[in-house]
Amino acid sequence: MDAIAWSGMVCTFGNREQMAVTEDKTTTSEGALAPQHAQASPYPGGVRGLISRAVTSLEIDTRMFGMIIGLVVIWVGFHIWTGGTFLTPRNLWFLTVQTAIVAIMATGMVLIIVTRNIDLSVGSMLGFIGMFMALMQAEWLPSIFGFDQWYTWIIVLIAGLILGAIIGLIQGAVVAYAGVPSFIVTLGGLLVWRGLSWVMAHGRTIAPMDVTFQLLGGGARGTVGGPISWSIAIVASLAIVLLLISRRRNRLKFGFRVRPFWADLALMVLGPALVIVAVWFLNQYYMPEAVAQQFAQENGLEVPPGGLEIPFGLANPVLIALGTAIVMTFIATRRRFGRYVYSIGGNPEAAQLSGIRTKRLIMLTFMVMGILVGLAAAVQIARLNSATAGLGTLQELSVIAAAVIGGTSLTGGVGTVFGAVLGALFMQSLQSGMVLVGIETAMQDVVIGVVLVAAVVADVAYRRRQAA
Amino acid sequence: MKRSRHLFALLAALAMFVAACGGDGADGDTSTSAATGATGGEGDITIGFSWNNFNEERWSKFDEPAFVAAIEAGGAEYIKADAASSAEQQLTDVENLISQGADVIVILAQDTQAILPAVESASSQGIPVIAYDRLIEDDRALYLTFDNVGVGRIMAEVLFEQVSSGNFAIIKGNGSDANSDFLRAGMEEVIGDAVAAGDITIVCEEYTDDWLAEVAQETMEQCLTQNGNDIQAALVENDGMAGGVVAALDAQGLAGQIPVTGQDGDAAALNRVALGTQLVSVWKDARILGQIAGEAALALAGGAALEDIPDVIEFESPGGNTMTSILLDPTPITTENLNLVVDGGVISQEDLCQGVAAGSVEICG
Amino acid sequence: MTAPGDAVAPLVEMRDMSVSFGGVHAVKDVTIDLFPGEVLGLVGGNGAGKSTLIKTLSGAQAADSGQIFVEGEPVEIHTPIDAKKWGIETIYQTLALADNIDAPGNMFLGRELTSGIGNLDDSAMEDATRKIMGRLNPKFENFKVPVSSLSGGQRQSVAIARAVHFNARILIMDEPTAALGPAETDQVRGLIRQLKEEGIGIILISHDIHDVFDLADRISVMLQGRLVGTVPKHDVTMDEVLAMIIIGKMPEELTQTELADLHG
Repeated sequence: MDAIAWSGMVCTFGNREQMAVTEDKTTTSEGALAPQHAQASPYPGGVRGLISRAVTSLEIDTRMFGMIIGLVVIWVGFHIWTGGTFLTPRNLWFLTVQTAIVAIMATGMVLIIVTRNIDLSVGSMLGFIGMFMALMQAEWLPSIFGFDQWYTWIIVLIAGLILGAIIGLIQGAVVAYAGVPSFIVTLGGLLVWRGLSWVMAHGRTIAPMDVTFQLLGGGARGTVGGPISWSIAIVASLAIVLLLISRRRNRLKFGFRVRPFWADLALMVLGPALVIVAVWFLNQYYMPEAVAQQFAQENGLEVPPGGLEIPFGLANPVLIALGTAIVMTFIATRRRFGRYVYSIGGNPEAAQLSGIRTKRLIMLTFMVMGILVGLAAAVQIARLNSATAGLGTLQELSVIAAAVIGGTSLTGGVGTVFGAVLGALFMQSLQSGMVLVGIETAMQDVVIGVVLVAAVVADVAYRRRQAA
Repeated sequence: MKRSRHLFALLAALAMFVAACGGDGADGDTSTSAATGATGGEGDITIGFSWNNFNEERWSKFDEPAFVAAIEAGGAEYIKADAASSAEQQLTDVENLISQGADVIVILAQDTQAILPAVESASSQGIPVIAYDRLIEDDRALYLTFDNVGVGRIMAEVLFEQVSSGNFAIIKGNGSDANSDFLRAGMEEVIGDAVAAGDITIVCEEYTDDWLAEVAQETMEQCLTQNGNDIQAALVENDGMAGGVVAALDAQGLAGQIPVTGQDGDAAALNRVALGTQLVSVWKDARILGQIAGEAALALAGGAALEDIPDVIEFESPGGNTMTSILLDPTPITTENLNLVVDGGVISQEDLCQGVAAGSVEICG
Repeated sequence: MTAPGDAVAPLVEMRDMSVSFGGVHAVKDVTIDLFPGEVLGLVGGNGAGKSTLIKTLSGAQAADSGQIFVEGEPVEIHTPIDAKKWGIETIYQTLALADNIDAPGNMFLGRELTSGIGNLDDSAMEDATRKIMGRLNPKFENFKVPVSSLSGGQRQSVAIARAVHFNARILIMDEPTAALGPAETDQVRGLIRQLKEEGIGIILISHDIHDVFDLADRISVMLQGRLVGTVPKHDVTMDEVLAMIIIGKMPEELTQTELADLHG
């Protein structure tokens, strides 16, 4: 999943808010501006110089680059530590699924934090909306229409998203219009939604979910299979190339500076290559024999003597998370809404004086968050095939941590959707890896806590260096 | 589950606080229960019950009716109070029950320590106290509960009958919850020898933050990955987490092939037992607890000493008290005895049998 | 203030403006006007009410009473958007730039150029920014970096470019040089003269009496929420303006002792 997201967004995101800071170092003194292409001639010495030059030419955000390096390091580290289990198609496939739920919510949390707010209620909200959707499909709708109707999942999903939007809207309105700090409003929400979810089901576990709805959660059937995964890879690759070309053309049309041709070409090869390698790798995860047998039976396939090798393909939650990330990136970078969100974070007064309706906008960010929580709740209960009273407990911390590790600054104005998704993947990699090597739960918490703080320390140091 | 209860309790406490400040809204804490159909003054025994929080469905649905039936059979009158999750309120409640003339007081304590002054005040007036389901750290009280170590033992016993060797996964509850370790200790009694002999290998053993099902699911996924699906049994400490574990197994096409345990008698878990994807849900039949408590209360009201109550044993509490206790054995629910939960009103047959193939389980037809 | 027989109508006239906060009059019955191609210096001590007065013109603060005329027409200004509709642009003391956004993003903040389906057209915005900057500050090159990393002068030119690009006819500048070094101050002064030549009316608020004497055609002085008076720059000395600011007396009412005391 990372490969698609990565290459898909580098081109739209690479040189926005954060990355451009790198260029700035050469051009701080007014008037004494070194035109960018002038940098191409003198080679800074050594391999390090070569890499940093490549990163600059490719316009890759150095911070993101650092995170990806960090991710690779822990992946390889765990691979060695687990004696070769971590970097297997199966483990990475599960890693993508396990990341999906937090990633979906983290894309919204970025916008909230960028506007200098916080949403502590997402875990409880996930529990409440999850319980609502579970009751709807396990009790309310069946009592009218009967179990497992084909349309049940759509009604339930839409209802969940609407409920999320309403909750977000309520919390957002109190924050924006009543002027209550979001910390307090959502702390209240954390209690209220958890309490109401308890009241709604009296602490019962609600299960099972509708058979079609379950597909949202992945599982043995909730995947798109090998061929469709390949199609997605091809479409994504084409999209990356087309985006790069259209961007280059557009800039040339206005006579702006563009990346050196080799750099654009490299991205056009590198991006799709990453997507294809990722999908190829994940497609190596074949259905376990029991599932494959059943699949063969249902589809009238013959079982060869060597057994069947049917790839699961990408899991639905992963596709949902990727789709969410792409849509949210688009909203954050290509739409007025996103631009205004960042401007509020950068200077609320300036935003207001520019005629932006900041209150309404803040309310809407909470609504977006609510919708995303609804989506995440759907994936969660589908994946778990049940809704429990404690569903989503402490998830707010994972979501906030993912956003923060991904480079979102709690002082506002700074953060990217892609970074948050990467942050979620980073956290989940740590967590899953530690379970694999059998580190006890208490120590896992210690490690994750330390990593969270360390990530922010590194981030602050990095920014300070950039500003100097 | 635990956490959410705490949060809810906090919320309720806040609400109480607001109500109390708003005037006399918080009345009716104690009431004589005419609705229970007490035959009215027939005997002169009155038994008071102080509930910590009646909002939890279980108490009103299972415990109270069984309790009331037992004491009414003995001709006693039932009075009750609900503390709505407030330890302070519960102290007042107990005093009110005493002043209403209770001869025995049964307490479902909000807090094992904070309730002690109430026990003190009852005992000083010669009123016997029964600690219902939750421990009260005072050896003058009769402690009545299900045997938690026993729950772990029974889970393991049922599982061990099916699978007595191979790779086992153990998914424990919250690390800071003493119950997790009690349950694990009970399991050890059954599988300890086989583990020592090398017949059973425990390949994964993890606590689960807040008993969260989604966390248990991830743990099981990692466990299966780590062992290439070579796992023969999963000992899971409750039904919620069992749901997560079964979901993880299902993704590998292994649901129903690897036995999974649980406890609580959750409707969802009972459905899984009927479907064959969960081996057992150990069920604490609250009606039995209510009934035994009622009978013990009658005996104490009749002047019996704690030691004279049938089936009592001595129990060392975590606080160092030697409690006179009745530890009830919970019931393992498997495909063999699903009728118990339907008859007991825990679950409707329709819910129990949802999705169950015809002819696979007797009760589902 | 407009002399009868004046050929040109004032670009803007604020008549009898009053604003009070909880019973305290921040601005009381103030009337000022501004002509095309004119720089009006608005001066006064701290809390004299200058900023509050111009906020009623830029739409950031509602007036309790008074009427605003643009080219003789009475207009209603309640929000920054209303003000912009009448060609009134404001450059705030706090710069009012979003630090985390680049120069084109700031220039078009709230008025982004979009494609047909509402997507931001960053290239078009960058192009427009480059064009306007080519005119105002040809040395400016950092179009893709957050403005937080720009120098004070560069940031000020972004703020001015924003006003100019949207065809401001009336430009309000609140302490435009307060945060700048000498070289940058010169740069901004140059900009102001350039805009003046283009026929834009500028209200310049400043603490710096030198700024005002250097740039303004007329000077309005406020003290404790009231207008002391408006005087043509060429008719007064710096000391006389100082006296208006501090004592609140017009030059003709001033005694020599009072004038001497100013320096005492």
